[in-house]
Amino acid sequence: MTFLKVTGLFIVVLTAQLTVFTRIQVVGVAPELMALIAAMAGLIAGSQKGSLIAFFVGLLWDVYLTTPLGLSAISFAISAYAVGSIEEGLFPSTRVQTVVLVMAATAISLIQYVIWGGLIGHNHLLSSELPKIIVVASAINAILAVPVTPLMQWILKQSESN
Amino acid sequence: MPVLPGRGRSRLRLGLLIFTAVAFMTLDFRDYEPLEKLQSGVRDLLHPVISVGNSGLNSVSDVWAATFGGSHLRRVNYELRAEIDRLEGAAIQDETVRETYRQALEAIDIDYITDIERLTALVLRDNTGNFNDNTIVIDKGHSDGLVPGMAVVTGAGMVGTIRTVGADHSIVTTISNPELTISVRLVSTNEVGLGHGVAGDHTRFVVDTGLRWPEVDPRAHLAEIGSPVITAATSRYPANIPIGRIESVESAKAGLVQIVTIELAVDTGDLNFITVLLEEPDDLPPSNSNSPFGDITPMDNLPPANVLPEQDAP
Repeated sequence: MTFLKVTGLFIVVLTAQLTVFTRIQVVGVAPELMALIAAMAGLIAGSQKGSLIAFFVGLLWDVYLTTPLGLSAISFAISAYAVGSIEEGLFPSTRVQTVVLVMAATAISLIQYVIWGGLIGHNHLLSSELPKIIVVASAINAILAVPVTPLMQWILKQSESN
Repeated sequence: MPVLPGRGRSRLRLGLLIFTAVAFMTLDFRDYEPLEKLQSGVRDLLHPVISVGNSGLNSVSDVWAATFGGSHLRRVNYELRAEIDRLEGAAIQDETVRETYRQALEAIDIDYITDIERLTALVLRDNTGNFNDNTIVIDKGHSDGLVPGMAVVTGAGMVGTIRTVGADHSIVTTISNPELTISVRLVSTNEVGLGHGVAGDHTRFVVDTGLRWPEVDPRAHLAEIGSPVITAATSRYPANIPIGRIESVESAKAGLVQIVTIELAVDTGDLNFITVLLEEPDDLPPSNSNSPFGDITPMDNLPPANVLPEQDAP
């Protein structure tokens, strides 16, 4: 059941990212919904399960990108692991912490994506637009984290109890 | 077997994920066919869902575009731009025909434009994600006869080439992609060189391989600014497709080669419909068995050591 819920979530988010959010953008930057789901997975499911979920979110996203398969997966998994570890080790969860950590995780995911991409020859990822993309996408994801948190908790906390 | 503590297990799992991702990247980089088929299969599987989502969510994005994007003005702007593109394409074609005719009188050596079957397709979306990957997705796939490598055009000229093909959709690499090299001919001088897009600029194309800087009287032998550039006969794509017009000609590498900057005929950042030329690409280097020197490899297959031949973007 939980597997179906997670799969359904992946498909719904992917569909939204590929359809409505190719046109709905803020100052030319679309929300990075896949990075949002990856970060939320790390925060809610913890570093172990979260990084695994983030890996598969990234892998699905990579199928639609022209960069090599695995580039988003590695970026998302490391970010989810990082925020999951911070969440587990440092403080009890509050809404402000969630927002800040999602913002940081999105920024880290995007920076990693560009760095890993550059290492394997995709230098076009490093453009003058990059700072704008990181700042705006991270801010949008931070705002979206608030309404998305209960949904992710409903899906992933049940997975924890299972 | 010793049991790893929680943190150790967690790191081990992350390590395995990183290893798996690197393995995928390596296989993808080497164009491992089963992996490409797997990706294509996933896209085909999810395509109906995304299509339904696209039609259902269009109204939402229309409202957004109308509220924040100046929808009517954009539509009018698009129509005007399409008309300008069509006229510019026609002008380049007219000039090419005139120039070819003039050159035919000088030497009986004409590139033919054969009748090629065409297929018009709708552009479903352009760049996926926030990073400009110089691709568009169209609503035709292998069920319509498309195969990777086919040329994609509009009335104005070259748009790009089919990169991957699904059952009923395909991904097109646009000509603005710096990693897609195309063999082109400068109509005013009849020189052939290799060119590619410019990173971060979807309106420019640079020919930086194969054009020597004239040793004597450069001004008389250089291509004219504003003259048309088309695909070469030696290209893997059909010849005589307009690329654009020459914007500047500069020397490089200690004055040995020309760097020709071209303003593209097609604005690849704003496309609604495109046409696919249903001619499979010719990847075999043309040969001339009658030559006293044996087989002659065309220029785009014998580049300088530091330059790759005409190739698809990875």
